Amino acid sequence: MKQAVISCLHANLPAVQAVLNDIDRQGIDTITCLGDLVGYGPHPNEVVDLIKEREIPTCQGCWDEDVVDGLDACDCSYPSQLAERRGHLAHKWTTEKLTNENKDFLASLPTSIRRDKLLFVHGSPNSQHEYLLPDMDAFAALERVEMAGAETLFCGHTHLPYVRELGQGSIRVTLKNTPNKQTEEKEMNLPMRRIINAGSVGEPRHGGSKATYVIFDDKTNKIDIKEVSYDIDRTCKAIIEAGLPPIFAWRLNHGFEFAELAEDASHVCER
Amino acid sequence: MRQVWLISGPPGCGKTNWILSEIKKHGGSCGYIRLSGFSEKSLEQANSSEIDFVFLKDQIPQLIDLSKSSDHLFSDQDNSLIFIELSQFYLPNQSGLAGIDPRIISQLENLKLLPDQYLHFGRDTELSIKDTLDFTKIESLSLNLQENVWDPPSLNTFWFELVNGAYGDVYRAKALLNIPDGRSMYFNWIVSQPGSQFLQLNDIAPPKGRPQRISQLVIQGRNLEFTRIKSTINLCLINDSVLEMHQASLSNQQLAATH
Repeated sequence: MKQAVISCLHANLPAVQAVLNDIDRQGIDTITCLGDLVGYGPHPNEVVDLIKEREIPTCQGCWDEDVVDGLDACDCSYPSQLAERRGHLAHKWTTEKLTNENKDFLASLPTSIRRDKLLFVHGSPNSQHEYLLPDMDAFAALERVEMAGAETLFCGHTHLPYVRELGQGSIRVTLKNTPNKQTEEKEMNLPMRRIINAGSVGEPRHGGSKATYVIFDDKTNKIDIKEVSYDIDRTCKAIIEAGLPPIFAWRLNHGFEFAELAEDASHVCER
Repeated sequence: MRQVWLISGPPGCGKTNWILSEIKKHGGSCGYIRLSGFSEKSLEQANSSEIDFVFLKDQIPQLIDLSKSSDHLFSDQDNSLIFIELSQFYLPNQSGLAGIDPRIISQLENLKLLPDQYLHFGRDTELSIKDTLDFTKIESLSLNLQENVWDPPSLNTFWFELVNGAYGDVYRAKALLNIPDGRSMYFNWIVSQPGSQFLQLNDIAPPKGRPQRISQLVIQGRNLEFTRIKSTINLCLINDSVLEMHQASLSNQQLAATH
């Protein structure tokens, strides 16, 4: 059965509509959303309403959490003072616009969704704020998937879609205080694990301006990273009209491969 | 024997870098002055004289600043070389010294600096013409940023946005900007060349208080969004407490290194 995974919608209604239409055209009924329904974009209520109306199972993203809890993550998650101040402007605007009903909905979202050996999260199994980058240390990547008890981990947050296969993994342990009082070495080979990042529907940063999502076929294990055109001008116009920082529209329009990541992307805020 | 050279050309053609390479080749003493030139119809000059001189002086510490005084300068017997840099949008209408703009001649007379040689980018083959752009309309923004210190990752983002058109069609951008560790960074960009030139000046300010040296940003282009540029810069500049924190951390590191 084919299923679609979408992430990082960021209040961009034209992009969300275009992606859902693309999924519908392929006759795919199972859709999972990895969160960040709001933030940066001009249509927070419209996007939340659409996800609710379509009854799409959704994880809570970092923006969904912060908009409800009030900037729960400390400023260490921002890569620069400029990004932090712009982020705060977008946060304030979004908090003011979101209805209480939609805030309650975002607050009610789970941090992960599990279907057999498939695990769906926003950032990582540890936190909505942790970035699993495509080039992160292989041991750390394997640890994230294995410790969560998953074979395939679906995540978003980086806005860069990718598929990473972690093969030939093994865990070696040294046992002390064994019954025969001797130290024993044990090794366990792990089956292949995968991390699949769905990219971003509403704020792509993969070097193009098209919305991205993934389709997973659980019969063949085939993954397709999909790119979908949408009416970017409509979103950009709405950003300007809403009084959000115009630079958000500029970035969206140009689709620069310009991921604003903290210096230590794996850092997890513990505040 | 003293030689006075007048070097002119449109913004971004490489006047300052050409002068730097000539000074490096020259064995004797050198002097430098930059004349701001004249704005023409729809072509606005930018004031970047301080950036250019600070950059040259950092590269050639013995360079003499002729904007302050030329009285003590070289006698005719000196093996000295004086460069006068001039921003000029249009081609001179005559070759050689006869092509000097009459408005400039009176300035040169006041400075007692009459050129022996006049070269213009785009006219004279001694100078490269690969970067000479023919501007039809240009707006300029010059910002004095003395005492201001940038958050480095924010500066990186701002410069990326600036030269990629987020605040209008930028043709030319040049800057000397302070970062918290006491370094002054020289930024140089022209639309006709790929990438920006970044250079750390040799002169590093002590990490105490706000730096007093020259810091400027000059932008030239069309449809520049001055208000948005300024408001973005304000989001990038660090406040006193953040600067103190950076400087205290730097002082502690220096102290630890000496023990």
